[in-house]
Amino acid sequence: MVTKTEETELNQLENQVENGGGGVWEYLCLVRKLKVRRSELVLKHGLSILNDPGKRSSLGPDEWTLYEQVAIAAMDCQSLGAAQNCIKVLQKKFPESKRVGKREALLVEAKGMWEDAEKAYSILLEDNPLDQVIHKRKVAMAKAQGKPSLAIEHLNKYLEVFMADHDAWRELAEIYVSLQMYKQAAFCYEELILSQPTLPLYHLAYAEVLYTIGGHENLIAARKYYASTIDLTGGKSTRALFGICLCGSAIAQLSKGRNKEDKDMAAPELQSLAATALEKEYKQKAPAKLNLLSSALRSLKL
Amino acid sequence: MAEDLVLDTAIRDWVLIPLSVVMVLIGVLRYFVSKLMRSSPTPDAKMVKEGQVVIRARNLKAGASFIPPKSFRARRFYFSNEENGLLHVPKDQAQNPQAQMFSEPNMAMDMMKKNLSMIIPQTLTFAWVNFFFSGFVAAKIPFPLTQRFRSMLQNGIDLSTVDVSYVSSRSWYFLNLFGLRGLFSLILGDENAIDDTQRMMQMGGFGFDASKSLSAEKDGLDIIQHEWALPRFEHRAESVLRKLVQ
Repeated sequence: MVTKTEETELNQLENQVENGGGGVWEYLCLVRKLKVRRSELVLKHGLSILNDPGKRSSLGPDEWTLYEQVAIAAMDCQSLGAAQNCIKVLQKKFPESKRVGKREALLVEAKGMWEDAEKAYSILLEDNPLDQVIHKRKVAMAKAQGKPSLAIEHLNKYLEVFMADHDAWRELAEIYVSLQMYKQAAFCYEELILSQPTLPLYHLAYAEVLYTIGGHENLIAARKYYASTIDLTGGKSTRALFGICLCGSAIAQLSKGRNKEDKDMAAPELQSLAATALEKEYKQKAPAKLNLLSSALRSLKL
Repeated sequence: MAEDLVLDTAIRDWVLIPLSVVMVLIGVLRYFVSKLMRSSPTPDAKMVKEGQVVIRARNLKAGASFIPPKSFRARRFYFSNEENGLLHVPKDQAQNPQAQMFSEPNMAMDMMKKNLSMIIPQTLTFAWVNFFFSGFVAAKIPFPLTQRFRSMLQNGIDLSTVDVSYVSSRSWYFLNLFGLRGLFSLILGDENAIDDTQRMMQMGGFGFDASKSLSAEKDGLDIIQHEWALPRFEHRAESVLRKLVQ
C-alpha cells in the first residue's frame, strides 16, 4: 500500500520526468521501491538511459537492476523485442542465475507459449519449491489461458502453505466471484477482513457477496456490512448507500410473511438517511439523474 | 582514602583511544565477514507453513469481532480441532527443540559459525588487552562504587588502597564491548547494529520454537469470547449519515 506522501512524490517525479526535467533515475528507483505498475513510462525512460552508453556506465552496478526492471516493463507493454534484448544482456552477465531464469520464463510466458513456460517454471520450482513468485506466475498463466478452475486449484495449494498472503486471498475471491461460487468467495472475503479489518473495500465486497447469496440472515448481515463500510468511509461510498437501500427493501419483502419481531430494528432510520444522503450526493454530482434516482428510491420503499 | 590520583594524558592517548578504535574496526570486520559467510537459509516447507499458520491465527484473534459468529466458530474449530486442527500439536510431537536443532546439520553448522565469529575476536582482543594494558590505572569512573567491584574492575592493580573508581583498562574493554552499539548503527546502517550483547543473547536462544508458539496461539484462540461488532456499526453509520445530510 502506497502512502500519501509517497504517492505525491511519485506524481511529482512523474510530471518532472515527462516534461523533460531530470530525475529519471530517482523516478525509476522510486517505482521499483514502491512496486507500482508504470510500465510505459518505465520502458520509455529506462530504454533512453540504457541506450545511452555514457549514462549507462554512470549507473555502475545498478545497471543490471535497471535492465531487469526495463525487461519486465517491456513485457508488460508487449514490446517483446526490447525485453528479449535486455534479458540477453543479463544472461551474458549472469549465466547461471536463477533470477535471470525467472525472467526468461516470464518472457516465454509473455510470448504465449504456455507449455514451454509451464516446463520452465516446473524446473525452477524443483530448485526452490517455496518460491512465492513462481507459484503466483503459474496461477496467472492458468488465468490467462482461461482455465479458472485450474487457477483455483493452484491458488488453493499455494494458500495451504502461505496462508497469510492476503493478495492471494483477494485473487481467489475475485476468481470465485467470476465463477459465481459465492459461498467460497464469502469465505475468502472473511479472511481478508480478518487480516485488514479497517479497509472498507473488503467490507463492501463482503456485503455485496452476502447480498447476492440472499436469504434473510445473509441480507441482515449484508446490511450490517454496508453500514460498516459507510462508517469507515465517512458516508462517501455511493455503492454502500445504494446497498443499504436495496437491503432494506429486500428484507422488507422477505419478512412480509414473517413475524415483525424477526425484523432487525437495530437502526431503523438507516434506510431513510441513506436515501437522503444519496439524493444529496446526486444533486451535487449528477443533477440530471436526480429524477431517475428519486423514482427508483420511491419504488424501493414498498 | 579519597585522594585524587592524577593520570597521565598519555594514558588517554595511548590506551583508551586505540582500544576503542580497535574494537570498532573489529566490529566492522566481523560484519563484513559474517556477510560473506552467511549461507542463505533454505527455508523448510514445514517451518514456513507453521509461521504462516501463526500469522493467520493471530489475524483471527485480532479481527474476530468483524466476522459473523458462525464463521468465527468454524475457523476456530479448524484451528484448534483435536484431531487435525492446524494448531494442535500432539504431545509426542512436541520435541525438545534442542534435539531437533542438533539433528539438522545445517542449523548446527550455522550456529557454530555464528558462535565462532563472535568468540574468536573477543578472546583475541581480551588477551591483547591483558597482555599490553595491564598493571596500571587507566581511567577514573565519575561515580563512586562499592568495594565489591574491586575484583572486577581493578584486576591488574594490586594495591588495595586505591579508590574503586580508578579502574584498569580491562573495564574500559568491557565498557566498549557493551556500548558500541550506537556507533555501529551509525556506521553500518540501522539494521546491522547488533553488538556483542545481542549476539550473546542470540547464542542462548535456540531459534524458532514452533510447537510452543502454536500451542500459545491455540490457547489464545480458545479463550476468546466472540462479540460481533457489526451491530454497533449500524448505529455509527446512522450518526455519520445524519451528520452528512444536515
